[in-house]
Amino acid sequence: MILLMILAAAGPLVGTAAAASGARGRLAGWAASAGALASLVCAVWLLTGELHRAPLLGWGGYLYLDSLSCFFLLTVAAVTLLASVGSVAYLSAEQDAGRLSAFQVRLYYIFFGLFAALMLAALETGNLGLLFVLIEASTLASAALVGLEARASSLEAAWKYVIISSFGVTIALAGTLFLYYSASGLHLAAEYRLAWPYLFSHAHALAPESLKLAFMLAVVGYGTKVGLAPMHTWLPDAHAEAPSPASAMLSAALLNTGMYAIIRFLAITHARLGDGFPRAVLLTFGFLSIVIGVLFMIRRGNFKRLFAYSSVEHMGIIAVALGFGGLLGLYGALLQTLNHAIAKAVLFLTSGDVALRYKTREASGVRGLLAAVPVTGGALLLGSFAVLGSPPFGVFLSELTIVRAGFATSSPVFPLLLLALLAVAFVAFARTTTGMVTGQAPAKARREITERVIEEIRGLTGQEYVHMYASDRKAELAGTAKK
Amino acid sequence: MQILSASSAAGVLLDLSGVLILLLAFACLGSKLFNRYVAYYGAQSVVLSFAAGVAAYTFDSIELWILAVATLAIKGIGIPVSARRLLVQRLDLKRDAALSTGLSTSLIAGGALTAFAYLVTRPQLLPHGLVAAAVVPLSTAVILLGGLAMVVRRHTVAQLIGWLIVENGVFLGAITLVATFPFIVEAGIFLDLVAGVLIMLVFVSGLTRRLASASADELRELQG
Repeated sequence: MILLMILAAAGPLVGTAAAASGARGRLAGWAASAGALASLVCAVWLLTGELHRAPLLGWGGYLYLDSLSCFFLLTVAAVTLLASVGSVAYLSAEQDAGRLSAFQVRLYYIFFGLFAALMLAALETGNLGLLFVLIEASTLASAALVGLEARASSLEAAWKYVIISSFGVTIALAGTLFLYYSASGLHLAAEYRLAWPYLFSHAHALAPESLKLAFMLAVVGYGTKVGLAPMHTWLPDAHAEAPSPASAMLSAALLNTGMYAIIRFLAITHARLGDGFPRAVLLTFGFLSIVIGVLFMIRRGNFKRLFAYSSVEHMGIIAVALGFGGLLGLYGALLQTLNHAIAKAVLFLTSGDVALRYKTREASGVRGLLAAVPVTGGALLLGSFAVLGSPPFGVFLSELTIVRAGFATSSPVFPLLLLALLAVAFVAFARTTTGMVTGQAPAKARREITERVIEEIRGLTGQEYVHMYASDRKAELAGTAKK
Repeated sequence: MQILSASSAAGVLLDLSGVLILLLAFACLGSKLFNRYVAYYGAQSVVLSFAAGVAAYTFDSIELWILAVATLAIKGIGIPVSARRLLVQRLDLKRDAALSTGLSTSLIAGGALTAFAYLVTRPQLLPHGLVAAAVVPLSTAVILLGGLAMVVRRHTVAQLIGWLIVENGVFLGAITLVATFPFIVEAGIFLDLVAGVLIMLVFVSGLTRRLASASADELRELQG
């Protein structure tokens, strides 16, 4: 079983190894996809095994796997597979268009595999200190992906991302420190005092004051990675500037890994301090994120930024669900995590195709996707309805569950507010995406217009002019003849 | 777990190093020259490695000795020297003009943040009489000052130094509050730090090649 865990985390490294040993772009891409597939198979295997087994624990708590980590493992592995298959097509198109060099493509696959492997490893450790180390390392690997295109704007986004996230995660390290300190009353060996299962089972003996501080710092710190407002400012830039498959990884895998870390801290805090304090913290950050996300979604512009703000909104919804708590709240939060991850990965991958075809990332420049590229247009339309929680899709069920959890556990003001914000988000998001999908395709339309203009010009300068000239000459000739 | 009392010799030494580290953070906040930023950061790291050495001597722990030596070699010498060579000299950085507030304003804000740090780490949190009760507020203040430096300074190199000061603050807290994290974790944190500095060096030099100066002032393309 431990071998299976290691395999699951090491799967994406196949792509890294292939690219590092000099494989060409497409080959490295398929190697990465095969590795991701292997990870996904391992994750499914672990998950099905996990259902009838006690949590796995090894190496003094450094390796730990329970049903929560299995669930996140499945989500991240699925997204990695989607994104690496998407990478093959997107990167070869970029390379053929001459926007990326062969070296940059290889660099991409090296860091892509590293990034995915570090996230998967973070989900498999029970040591909260090692969790910090792996999440910080995944930040650095993904920063290289964001800055890959090496334009001034992408370097700027990568700088903003790496400096804000590193600062945030350092705050989370301070939180981990206080958690460690709060366990100083326990008689555990040093490495067990950071091991989550031990801390969780001894939660009643933790010092409450420093645990409170630890939870606050962890939410602020890992919340920076999750993109909770007001620590979300790196997120839209990084998502807009990264190559589209990397944006899918950021939005659907990285944010979830951060949320996983918060859930680990939440479980301990909840066991010691009860409902009140964590609920207040999570509802505050959650609602703030939803409001900020929705407000910026109203603005039209870069469609990848739109998807990024929608991620801020969804992470806010998940935080609110965790804040509502209870069985329903937790179930809703996890279901929302999976649904959002798959739908958002699909959206970012199609956005890559759209950006390649239309040579723009502005929503106003994209019209008539359904007419021009039916498959991409259809995927974009379905993806956006899935993300928005339209009935046949899973997000509808999970958002309904979250609202029900809200009515069950707290005052009705919060779930009603959530419903209102979701309605605004629906209108704001669908307004832009339906506009992109419907209408007449501009490339075709533009050709028609140009042809018509050329006709006009030819008419005016050519025959018409000759006619006018000729009639003038005739009149002139007639005049001279009269004389 | 062993926790040092404030009156022991080691406790006094740790307390003293904490105060020095805080003063150096203030010095960095009150300076305008890139050379000085790097120099103050290097001095701060040397004091930090001294503090780690004191803790290592008291607890007689090999892991803490390794940590102290690594701090001296990487943070005290490696990072300052390479920052000076690769950034300050090669990019010809002299005076930092990209400050969003005056020096006196940022120093006053720094004082307020220090007071806030004492307010947050109240006596309920840390029992009196331990050296941690004196040093943890100091380290919290160093974290906040580093954050303030990152906010006030808009040049990318200055922001990098701010982040390193934050990291030093966390380390100071770690040494006094919990003696040490498990060694694998400590080693991982160090690796992350080195990798982080390397990748940031790449970005800073890339940005400087693209823009006239890599001040965040010019990083205005991405908004909203």
